Amino acid sequence: MCCVVAKTWMPRDAPLLAEVLADARVWKLKDASAAPARPVWSTGKSSLDARLPGGGWPTASLIEVLLDDTGLGEVQLFLPALVACQRGSGGDTRWLVWIAPPHEPYAPALAQSGIELKRLLIVRPPTATEALWAAEQALSSGVCAAVLLWLKGTDDRWLRRLKLAAEAGGSLGVLFRPERHRFESSPANLRIVMSRGEPCARLDLLKVQGGRPGPVDLGDS
Amino acid sequence: MKLRAAKSRTADLFAAAPERRPDAVPAPAPAPAHAHAPASPVRPALAAPVPPPREQLGALRPKQLWYAAVFPEMTPEASAALQELCRHAHAFTSFVSLEPPNALLLEIKGSVKLFGSLQQLHADIDECWRLLTRTASSAIAPSTLAALWLARAGDPSLIEDTELLPSRLAKVPIACTAWPAEQLQTLRAMGVTSLGELMRLPRAGIARRLNPAVVADLDIALARQPAPRRAFVQRERFRERCDFETEIENVAYLEKALEPLIERCARFLRRRQAGIQGLRLKLRHREGPATRVQLGLASITSERRRLNDVLCQKLSRLNLRAPVRGMELISGSLRSLSASSLDVFAGLTGAGSRDSAPQLVERLRARLGEEAVYGVCLIPEHRPEAAWRRVQELCLTAGVKAEQRVDQQLPRPVWLLSEPLPLPKPEILQGPERIESGWWDGKGVARDYYIARQPQGARLWVFQERRSKRWYVHGVFA
Repeated sequence: MCCVVAKTWMPRDAPLLAEVLADARVWKLKDASAAPARPVWSTGKSSLDARLPGGGWPTASLIEVLLDDTGLGEVQLFLPALVACQRGSGGDTRWLVWIAPPHEPYAPALAQSGIELKRLLIVRPPTATEALWAAEQALSSGVCAAVLLWLKGTDDRWLRRLKLAAEAGGSLGVLFRPERHRFESSPANLRIVMSRGEPCARLDLLKVQGGRPGPVDLGDS
Repeated sequence: MKLRAAKSRTADLFAAAPERRPDAVPAPAPAPAHAHAPASPVRPALAAPVPPPREQLGALRPKQLWYAAVFPEMTPEASAALQELCRHAHAFTSFVSLEPPNALLLEIKGSVKLFGSLQQLHADIDECWRLLTRTASSAIAPSTLAALWLARAGDPSLIEDTELLPSRLAKVPIACTAWPAEQLQTLRAMGVTSLGELMRLPRAGIARRLNPAVVADLDIALARQPAPRRAFVQRERFRERCDFETEIENVAYLEKALEPLIERCARFLRRRQAGIQGLRLKLRHREGPATRVQLGLASITSERRRLNDVLCQKLSRLNLRAPVRGMELISGSLRSLSASSLDVFAGLTGAGSRDSAPQLVERLRARLGEEAVYGVCLIPEHRPEAAWRRVQELCLTAGVKAEQRVDQQLPRPVWLLSEPLPLPKPEILQGPERIESGWWDGKGVARDYYIARQPQGARLWVFQERRSKRWYVHGVFA
């Protein structure tokens, strides 16, 4: 993307700026941040909300969280959003689907945070491919408010399918992956790296559509 | 001796009026009240508002009329044959009831007009048995037991009037009642061989000496007591096979071939306003046993698209061990489609909704297995590991409202380890919370729970066993 913009400064044979901007591959930062078309769900951390376009997790999109151990408060970041999107705007509660969680989701903790357990579905697929298939089905079905998926590794093509499914079904897709995938390209709308830190976990925004990447200080909330 | 005495006391409760003695010719029904009231010079003031006397109520036409058919050559094992006959009997009335081992009861009051007359209907039903090469003896009476007993006695009666029942039943031998053998034995020892003789005995005496059920049966037979019966409902299922001209090895072709079968199945269900919750598919090979595919649906449905979806999902996971020559689709038992299973409004809530929740769940279950998809629920328990449970029966109906829970508990971790893992004493952030419970079922715990922190890392939910003083990690605050 950068090199396309650089080309416009070339003296000769250079296309007009308007032509470059009309190219679908060029993504305009200003427009995206000015008009948050979708509703967002608050993260519960004011410092993180401030860094995300629209002030929260985007809906109908794929969010990728890269982390190596569990216990960094990674699910905690999404719990307020899960509660909010489960209730939704209509009267009926929508479904939450957790696919291949690393441990047993502890029902009392979820109930404490306000999640309606009757609308929580836990799926334990035998293989990673099945997990991706299940995630795609759940995301595109349109009955799920959010789908959380834990994976050891996956390829780019599958992520693209997940993203399209999330957009089609209007659900929030969250993918947890090990940190080694950090340098692979990913079509996710939002990429976050979480790592150990003192006194609390460190959070890095790797890719933010409509925002600026960089580290986020979680300590103040 | 006693019997004689009882007879002589003539405390006959079965005969309401003296002229209704079984051997007597039934008296004509008294003229209606309004007919003779103006002519009566004695009490003209009572002419208009006087209710019909009690006697006359009994003479009113009965609400029900029962046709009983007894098939004497049918053995008790032939219940399937009896059900087959039931299916034919449905041509005459919608209410057919089985009377095992060898009789049917049809409620025909509503069908009389359609068939012209009662005599015609009677003849038509009898003709039906004759065409089916079944020998049957039949009777029509205003009560179920009366019709049945008369039919067993081989008396082709056609009784419309309740008043006539006592006199017509009087000749029926007691063996036709199918009461327990020892009771019949007792009755015979008392010198009672027909129902008429039985009805002459005092009611309280029969109830005491034999069985109160005998008195109740007599009341039912004489149409003095209602006797609700259960209607026979045909246990239907869709079953259709199709054979291929060439053997099919490719599952994709199988799916194509399955489509018309599913279409027919859906039409079959729609016509009956019914749905199914299970489906079986048998794939036949040239040799060896057929491959069976069994699938369950998360909710009752009759939708073609949903059936197709789940079947194709199941088929795509299938390893065909041999080419398929033919297949058979067999539905589970039919259930009535309730309003909640027609999830009309579920699709309106989300923007791009294409599926409903039951559809999603059954698609996931069809591919991943029943156990792989589950929910969780709370159990009011102090022990952390017993405070929740997996649930397989998900609440898939629409309209679950989120309820705000206000019980402020101490913090609980999002992940609970399936087994507590031992660890050295960690850095404590918060605690303790003492949990001591479960002494009654042998899995008692006595623990002090803390929130701890790994150096540079995760927040853990740890506990110290109070007896052994050892430390364990039980959960992770993710």
